[in-house]
Amino acid sequence: MIDFAFKNITRQRTRTILTTLGIIIGIAAIVALGSISEGINQYITASLELSAGKIIIQQRGSGGFQGGFAGSDITDDDLEELGSIDGVKEIVPMNLYFSMGRGMSFGPGMVIAGIDPERSEFLVGENIEMHEGREMEGGETGVMMLGFVFAEQRDLGVGDYFELKDMEFEIIGILEKIENPNVDDSASVNIVDIQELMGVDTYQMAYVVPFDIRDAEAIAEEIENSYEKLSATTPVELARQVGEIITQIRLFTLGIGGIAAVVGGLGVLNTMIMAVLERRREIGVMKAIGATKRRILMQILTESAMISLIGGALGLAIGALVVFGIVLASGGQLPAQVTPGLAAGSMIFALMLGIVGGVYPSIKAANLDPVEALRYE
Amino acid sequence: MSETVLEVQDIVKTYNQGLPNEIKVLKEVSMKINKGDFVSIVGPSGSGKTTLLDIIGCLMRPTSGGVFVDGVDVKELGDSELANIRGNKIGFVFQQYNLIQTITAQENVEIALRIMGKSKGDAKKRAKELLELVGLGKRLNNKPSQMSGGEQQRVAIARALANNPSIILGDEPTGNLDTKTGEKILNLLKKLNNENGYTIVVVSHDPNVTEYVDYTIHIRDGEIEKTTNGTTTNK
Repeated sequence: MIDFAFKNITRQRTRTILTTLGIIIGIAAIVALGSISEGINQYITASLELSAGKIIIQQRGSGGFQGGFAGSDITDDDLEELGSIDGVKEIVPMNLYFSMGRGMSFGPGMVIAGIDPERSEFLVGENIEMHEGREMEGGETGVMMLGFVFAEQRDLGVGDYFELKDMEFEIIGILEKIENPNVDDSASVNIVDIQELMGVDTYQMAYVVPFDIRDAEAIAEEIENSYEKLSATTPVELARQVGEIITQIRLFTLGIGGIAAVVGGLGVLNTMIMAVLERRREIGVMKAIGATKRRILMQILTESAMISLIGGALGLAIGALVVFGIVLASGGQLPAQVTPGLAAGSMIFALMLGIVGGVYPSIKAANLDPVEALRYE
Repeated sequence: MSETVLEVQDIVKTYNQGLPNEIKVLKEVSMKINKGDFVSIVGPSGSGKTTLLDIIGCLMRPTSGGVFVDGVDVKELGDSELANIRGNKIGFVFQQYNLIQTITAQENVEIALRIMGKSKGDAKKRAKELLELVGLGKRLNNKPSQMSGGEQQRVAIARALANNPSIILGDEPTGNLDTKTGEKILNLLKKLNNENGYTIVVVSHDPNVTEYVDYTIHIRDGEIEKTTNGTTTNK
């Protein structure tokens, strides 16, 4: 039956190709958009992991995490006051220096983070290993530690110098690659250097670390209530906000892909209705020579499923190529990839479209009266 | 004396039953076809001969009356069992040949075998044998569009023989052919009847047909008018 189905769908070659194209576009859209939203998800989740158990302090009304903390000015006095709150273990301020960088790439450009060298785990995580060189030491200035990808892309090694504005930094260490773009693409220097570079004596943000993680919410609330100037966000809250954004991105992208695919499915329906109409006589003959209703039904369904599966497979391949291209264009910063689940899901969706699109025409074909069908001109 | 392969008892076919335009196409027709018979059913247009053939061929159910194929009462059968009867017991030959245009002669015969569950290899082999039997051994890989009407009808006959049916039904099998080609087809049917023992019923208004058959059933206004013996000139 499958060989006949293939012969049948290749009869009206142009029509079949156009119909398949409808499915290809739909499935490619789902695969590409789905992978990219998954990539964004991973990217943001990876950012969150680093701040787990910490309260993020910034100036109220500033740009916030997504806005690069524009306009946030936290002073040493503020830090001192925060340090006196019950349950606070320590406070780690941080400044981020944003530069568009030199490369022609998407993504956040180049970010140089300034932090107390003894607290660099706040940037790069606890279990970091050095690929080359050493970590920064407390009080050390004029030196820079690089993430693996940051160094690789710029062809930098230990002992090289990196220029930022009119300052020069000696590269003393390169981190091992850990597949987290926030770390791999990072560069960190002593926070004192960043302040000098930016010409400020304030901080953009600070991590407040509680003795007990379970107190984080209460401490954040206290800061929110007691300090007019500062806002405190806990990772839980941040995760919730980010989760909402991710859900919206997902729904939006899947919605677009889904609409495209459903339109493709309508194409299959249309094509199969046409095919059944054209082949009325032939279906009559098939019935006359012994084909049961079930056989006719399965024949038409096999044909529509075949169109949609071929479309699905090609759509998956094209979608994967698009994702590959986007990852390349982002310089590897967007960790988008076609997961097995997404691949399987999109193929199942394609098959479903073919079957749903084939049900009506196949029932119509199966119920054709052979006498009428045979004498149909 | 002979074994009955087909029997119809008092069959009635009414279209638009209960409506003002009700029309009774067949009025209590009864007949018996024995194994090895070559029969023609003739009658003017609208006499009900095609409807009778459709009912004999299990393509249509009568409004009332019984149809027995090889002793099986088809009234009792469901749609898929009826389809099996058509596939296994009956071979159709149509006026329009009704071949599938996009596949070869051999594949057209194969499809009848595959539908009835034969394997691809067996179907291929048998299709070749049958096409050789109808004189198309050299046209196996031609598509219908590359063949003459007479050749296409031979393919259709080979397809009708595919599952070794109890009875072959021809609906105006020479209706689309010129006289000479039509005679060749009738000779082929005659040969299949004489040499291979196939039972054949042909509906036609071609007066030539009656010369080839054992007997002819004349039908008019939905009733059997008379039965005449064939002139048996070619026998």
